[in-house]
Amino acid sequence: MGIIEFAKSPWGQDVPIHIFFYLIYVAVIAGLTFFIGHVIWLRYFAKKEEFADSTPPGEVAKLPAEIKRHSLPARLFHWVQAGAMLTLLFSAFLPKVGVRFEWLQWHWIAGVVLTVSIVFHIIHASFFMNFWSIWPDKIDIEDAGRRWKRSQGEKAPAPRRFGKYPMENKMYHLAIVLAGLSVTLTGFFMLFRIRTPLFTRNSYMFGDMTNGLMYTLHGLAGVGLIALIMIHVYFALRPEKLKISRSMVYGTIKREHYAEHHDPKRWVAEAE
Amino acid sequence: MTDTKVTRRNAIKGVIAAGAVSSAGYLFRTNTVMGQSSAPGSVERLITLEVNGTTRRVDVMKQETLAMTLRYKLGLTGTKLGCDRAECGACTVLIDDVPHYSCSVLTHTARGKKIQTVEGLASADGKLHPVQQGVVEEQGFQCAFCMSGFLMATVGFLKTNPNPTRQEMAHGVSGNLCRCQDYDKILTALMRGAELSRSA
Amino acid sequence: MAVIRDVMPAFELFQPATIDDALNLLDKHGSEAWVMAGGLDSFDWLKDRIKRPSVVVDLSQIKELTGVKEWNGGIEIGAMTTLTDVVRNPIVKEKFSILATGAESAASPQIRNQGTIGGNVSQDTRCWYYRSGWKCYRAGGNTCFADTPTAINREHAIMGASRCVAVNPSDSAPALIALDAKMVIRNKSGERVVDAENYFIGPALDIRRMTVLLPGDLLVAIRIPSTWAGAKFYFEKVRDRPVWDFPLVNIAAAMKVNGDNIESIRMAVNGVAAHPVRLTAVEASLVGKPRNAASADAAGQLAIQGAEPLRHNGYKVPLLRNLVKRAIRGVEEAKWA
Repeated sequence: MGIIEFAKSPWGQDVPIHIFFYLIYVAVIAGLTFFIGHVIWLRYFAKKEEFADSTPPGEVAKLPAEIKRHSLPARLFHWVQAGAMLTLLFSAFLPKVGVRFEWLQWHWIAGVVLTVSIVFHIIHASFFMNFWSIWPDKIDIEDAGRRWKRSQGEKAPAPRRFGKYPMENKMYHLAIVLAGLSVTLTGFFMLFRIRTPLFTRNSYMFGDMTNGLMYTLHGLAGVGLIALIMIHVYFALRPEKLKISRSMVYGTIKREHYAEHHDPKRWVAEAE
Repeated sequence: MTDTKVTRRNAIKGVIAAGAVSSAGYLFRTNTVMGQSSAPGSVERLITLEVNGTTRRVDVMKQETLAMTLRYKLGLTGTKLGCDRAECGACTVLIDDVPHYSCSVLTHTARGKKIQTVEGLASADGKLHPVQQGVVEEQGFQCAFCMSGFLMATVGFLKTNPNPTRQEMAHGVSGNLCRCQDYDKILTALMRGAELSRSA
Repeated sequence: MAVIRDVMPAFELFQPATIDDALNLLDKHGSEAWVMAGGLDSFDWLKDRIKRPSVVVDLSQIKELTGVKEWNGGIEIGAMTTLTDVVRNPIVKEKFSILATGAESAASPQIRNQGTIGGNVSQDTRCWYYRSGWKCYRAGGNTCFADTPTAINREHAIMGASRCVAVNPSDSAPALIALDAKMVIRNKSGERVVDAENYFIGPALDIRRMTVLLPGDLLVAIRIPSTWAGAKFYFEKVRDRPVWDFPLVNIAAAMKVNGDNIESIRMAVNGVAAHPVRLTAVEASLVGKPRNAASADAAGQLAIQGAEPLRHNGYKVPLLRNLVKRAIRGVEEAKWA
């Protein structure tokens, strides 16, 4: 047991080669534990959500019935990325649990699709969307502190309404960015080590140590993604979250939901 | 009518009976040696080998090869260890008349089989085996480290083909190497041995 | 490697007498158990301390695994039948001589006396980086030491490589594929029959194994149907020395001809990929064609399509091409072009 498996390089150096594969199961168990923990917390401990302010009903009626949340390109990106990610996870981990197929071609092709879609997303988000809407800001952090205090029964002002994304979404996005960039960057260099039509094979760009660290990081981020994706699917399918989840298909949320949870100053409502 | 009450007398009888059963257990545990339960197929350390017509009791490890047992347990050092990897033939012995590399046979596999080494070629009165005689007559070997292996390979081969051509003989002993590169003389000697075997 | 270091490290040895006992042992010990047939592949690993199984299940005492018997007009060969017994079997000689030729070309007489047909088809690759204990892809690492600019890879693969470039060294394998043999595999939950062609797998499917056998599986028999009995056979093994050496490339072909035309053909080669390769495209291109120089040339060219030699094994490409030509036209007819 351990996290990283080591081997002797031809020069007699101990180099990491990859993570231990039982960590797959650790990740799955971590995901399941999160589900159970979260369900218990919601059922027995969570207090009703309260916000410091609200939009008067008269104002709500003036809003468009459907409020745009995800543009078509953003939705397409999300689903392409989801398909690539699931293909990557299954092609990586099914062989490890005994399903035999030619996984490598699925894996590298899905990896290229994911990388391209991420590059698209970075450009799209930086120049065509409100780039800062996904990153936690000062209000988010203050409100997180308030929520925590209130959940502990301490006195604290009610938190304000969210911007476009609630704090959890932002934190989740941050985790996905870290894990996703780790796997895609290491995966990109690993592409050179196999035979693909894309480049001339060159497995000697890095030394044994660098390679080993790359494989280790790829593995750690990979098993991390198992848990992250499990948690993501769990939230997307939770009944109270379906109102938001549908926006990844139809692009919009209902104005009532918007008015209750989102601050019009932090996220200006737009019609589809 | 059964008396289900636990009486003092019955309890004592029960304890005595249980003690008798557990202490007599060793009489019936035929499959256990030194507390090790034996699954089907497990092997014991003390085994019987039939080497050169003699029955030998020998204590062998599970991972021991026949060459090791012959040389270092039974003192039959005529069997040589060259490569210890089934690549040179110096350790060739006959198992049930078939040439084998004894470095690559577990001793346990040879249980109950007839093993013949170079020591078992000459008869009890010292008369050489015809193939040995052939080697003596033709001075077949230079350093002769490989000789016992060659002899055993030839004796085994002649049992399947008593009248080989020189080419067939070369093929028959092709599993043995001579680092002196003395093959021509070796083949001449072995062919002479084959000839003597036929007339013997 | 030829260093005598003492006896092998200790392991628990089991010598079951029946297949059922063996399967129970394999089931009980799972991936800890090392299945040993003749032992000639096993001992290298164990003596060199590269693989250190805690349990060895030696099949040598299982009588039901040996012998050749008639089966459905063809034959069934027990997996523990020695190569010598296969070579000397009268039915094999008469109807399926290509298997006798293939098995006879393996290793040395002593090895054939002990090595089994089941072991011959299930043996591990001879890549010396792997066998020397380097933590390569096949050993669970993330590098192929044989596919580097300075690697000695004269014996390695020219096709079918996926990260690992090792080759399958079996001589009986291509003969069995040419004969449409079926491999009978048993484990605790039952029996399955796999075509010889699909018995061998490449690194793309499972980089750590050479065959479909998984822990707990036992190859119990090889069935050869009557399909190719008495067909025109061609087997050739090219190697550095006429004894001991594993093939650089070998080829096995079974052919039925009608007059001058090829009616049906099976062709398999080994030593070019991590698994013996059945040349299906070549077979398809030859059906109905006359057995002449033009067809042989075209077949030879087709066989090497997609070959990707490494630094030191480029010679295998023309070697494969010419062996295919020879298999179709016979040795005399082929020109070394």
